Amino acid sequence: MARRTLRLIATLGVASAVMLVAAGPAWAAGETIGGCVLEQVHHAEEEYGSLGAVEADEKAFKAFEEDLEGCVEAPSPILPELDEIIWGGLAFLILFAFMWWKGFPAVKRAMDARSEKIRADLDAADTAKADAMRTKSEYEAQLAEAKTAAAAIIDEARGQADQLRQDLQARAEADIAEQRTRAAADIESSRRQAIDDLRTEVAAIAVGAAERVVGASLDADVHRSLIDGYIDEVAGAGSNGDGS
Amino acid sequence: MLSLLAQTAPGEFLDGLKAIGAGLGYGLAAVGPGVGIGLVVGNAITSMARQPESAGMVRTTMFLGIAFTEALALIGFVVFILLLP
Amino acid sequence: MSILALEFPPYSHLFDWPTIWLDGTPLAINKTVLIYLAATAATMVLFGLAGRPRESLVPVGVQHVAESGVNFIENSVVMQTIGPDGRKFMPFLTSMFFFILFSNITEVIPFIQFPANGRMAIPITLALLVWVIYNVVGVKSQGLFGYLKNSIFPPDVPKVLYIIVTPIELVSTFVVRPFSLAIRLWANMVAGHLLLVTFAILTATLWDFFYVPAALPFVMLILMTAFEILVSLLQAFIFTILTAVYIGGSMHPAH
Repeated sequence: MARRTLRLIATLGVASAVMLVAAGPAWAAGETIGGCVLEQVHHAEEEYGSLGAVEADEKAFKAFEEDLEGCVEAPSPILPELDEIIWGGLAFLILFAFMWWKGFPAVKRAMDARSEKIRADLDAADTAKADAMRTKSEYEAQLAEAKTAAAAIIDEARGQADQLRQDLQARAEADIAEQRTRAAADIESSRRQAIDDLRTEVAAIAVGAAERVVGASLDADVHRSLIDGYIDEVAGAGSNGDGS
Repeated sequence: MLSLLAQTAPGEFLDGLKAIGAGLGYGLAAVGPGVGIGLVVGNAITSMARQPESAGMVRTTMFLGIAFTEALALIGFVVFILLLP
Repeated sequence: MSILALEFPPYSHLFDWPTIWLDGTPLAINKTVLIYLAATAATMVLFGLAGRPRESLVPVGVQHVAESGVNFIENSVVMQTIGPDGRKFMPFLTSMFFFILFSNITEVIPFIQFPANGRMAIPITLALLVWVIYNVVGVKSQGLFGYLKNSIFPPDVPKVLYIIVTPIELVSTFVVRPFSLAIRLWANMVAGHLLLVTFAILTATLWDFFYVPAALPFVMLILMTAFEILVSLLQAFIFTILTAVYIGGSMHPAH
């Protein structure tokens, strides 16, 4: 830093020397406007005799006008008054040195703090991002795991359901078969009962009828055997006709 | 005094009057804004001390107030520049 | 003029600079123009350096200046006066702030020592530009009739007072605003330059006369230099914030 400061001061010194030489004309013309105008008028009168002669000569008049403009405008096109350059520049340099000494470290500290803060923020953001990525992959893994587990559970449940259905179906079929056989047996027994009843009934009716027809010539046992034989014949013919 | 003034050239006399007018004009124009800026900044400091958390807003508004008040003094300054001989 | 042997240069010597180049054309260049060109270049270089693509996002060196400036304009100017929808004016306000700042600060830089805004040209141009912008914004966001009504007949004012308020508002909104904006900047810079010149010349004269008393105005000159740096910053800030206030006022009439 010391070398940079030295270089800066040296540059400024050389520059000020050059500028001071260049500013010579500026110093020479440092007068009031009125005085300057009067001087120009005197000058013109001495050179051309009178102001009328100057006005008559176009070239001289232009030069005179330019001289007058020089009275109104700043003497040097670029540089301010010499006093201001010297003292203002000196004041600025002193202020600048003071700022460099006192202010610059503070500014530097603030800038460093800002850099540090932004770096820390960026780092924190990176860490947070990495964390988020890791959490995300963890979640994804867990999600995949959960998905496979769910699939397994669903498969198992489906198998169980199938099993249950098959069991139920088998049981139902067995029940149906049993009920069917039971029903068939019931029907058979009912039929037999009905035939028996019918036989008894018919025999009684036939005997009654025959008795009425024949009278008491025959006894009941003979009738019964005759009728039984007949009914058997009929039943055999009936069952053949049923086809069962 | 007046006879002394009368002895001077009329142009210089007018220049002198102009200078007096310019100086007086600028000085008078600076009185009001001076008091005004004092009031603005004083009240701004009071409210900043009372509510430091609203200091930023108060500061912005304070600069606005200063800018508007200062305009009057600056117009006086412009008149001063225009009256310069 | 000469006051008690103090050779003070005439006002025009401090502010009227002869033409350097392209004399007689509208593009004539003198010291003021050169300072403005330099201020433009400085603003461009500052943001060009700051906005250069880098590997790391961590700001370095001059980038801090530009970023702090942008943050400052956003937080202390736009957010306080226009609100979030004023962000579209950020580029305009930021570049105006830095341009005015750079053309003001030449006031204290050795060998230049002239505030370019001490000439009326750019202050009045910028102020008229601001005038056009806030009127266009007002007409755009409230419609021509609504904008005129809200700016000439401010709401929340008793009807009777319109006799007094309306002419004042009419003149102050459409006529005085740009001129007060320009005069504020210009007059501050002229006053600062005259102060610096006065103390410099006082120091020089006393130095010729006797060495020791010259220290008094010289200390004053140093303090004034510091003060003028502050004023340069403050005037750039005030010009920017007033622009933002005017734009905000024509954007949201209720406030």
